[in-house]
Amino acid sequence: MRKDAKKVLLAGALVAVIISLLAPFLASSNPDGLDKSVITLVGGGDEEKAEEIVSTNDPIGYKAPFPDYSIEGFGKAGEVMAILIGTIVMLIIGIAAGHFLKKS
Amino acid sequence: MHITDGLIPIEQAAAYWIIALIFIALSVRWARKEMDEMRVPMFAALAAGIFAIQAMNIPIIGGTSGHMLGGVMASIILGSPFAGVLLLTLVLLVQGFVFLDGGISVMGANILAMGVIASFVGYYAYHIIKERIGMIPSAFTGAWLGLFIAAEAVAVMIAAAGTFPLVPAMILMGLYHAVIGVVGEGLITSIVVKAVMQTRPELIASTSKAGVKA
Repeated sequence: MRKDAKKVLLAGALVAVIISLLAPFLASSNPDGLDKSVITLVGGGDEEKAEEIVSTNDPIGYKAPFPDYSIEGFGKAGEVMAILIGTIVMLIIGIAAGHFLKKS
Repeated sequence: MHITDGLIPIEQAAAYWIIALIFIALSVRWARKEMDEMRVPMFAALAAGIFAIQAMNIPIIGGTSGHMLGGVMASIILGSPFAGVLLLTLVLLVQGFVFLDGGISVMGANILAMGVIASFVGYYAYHIIKERIGMIPSAFTGAWLGLFIAAEAVAVMIAAAGTFPLVPAMILMGLYHAVIGVVGEGLITSIVVKAVMQTRPELIASTSKAGVKA
């Protein structure tokens, strides 16, 4: 990899890691625009009712390792770790996909 | 605006997957033609940065929050909406399978809305108005519009599934994301595009005339 290309990667990775470390503390815990629409339009304003209806209609019931960017039982530290793991995984996948798919 | 499993029935979700897969294949073809040594580290850095910033929801009106998508930003910097499609596909795969942010059966619908529709609408809007109002204002406008239209597409898809009433869904989704789009998408996209333009002008310069290539 060329030197200036390496610089782009390092600078980008640094910014991404800083955002991951801050995200658990700065992110709003309010429902996002779509979740809020689901609560309003599916649950009639009731969050639990909306969740129940949606999960009843869930055709696969997939269980993720770190649901909602958290690690069970580890609180804020778990959130920091979960997002940091995701960011590093994304960086690796980005490099791998880029190299695998780039023009020869 | 990640659609979760249970909002769209499996048959319709499968149809969105098929459309998404066509665009993913086209984005792979774009990468094979246009992704050079210099763009790989930029692509990887954007993938990590966009994943991280999507985990940081910004509070908006009415007890609601939202985050940027980043596809328009990636498309402008890498010179094609297919860059946004490819990048958002990878981000949505990790978000869905590792963090349950967005469902699995509906991942095609999420890729279609947040990857394809947002990137294409945003990148073309940027491309059309760039000569008239300049690069940064058009990056802002394109990013805002991409997010807004993607949100309306999500409203339409969930209404087509029979889960949402169409008009209220379009009003709510439109309203929330019109606000999210200003700071969450428009402002961040303009800042990053400006920063890249100042530090790596050759990257954007080399793509500005290339237009859209599959």
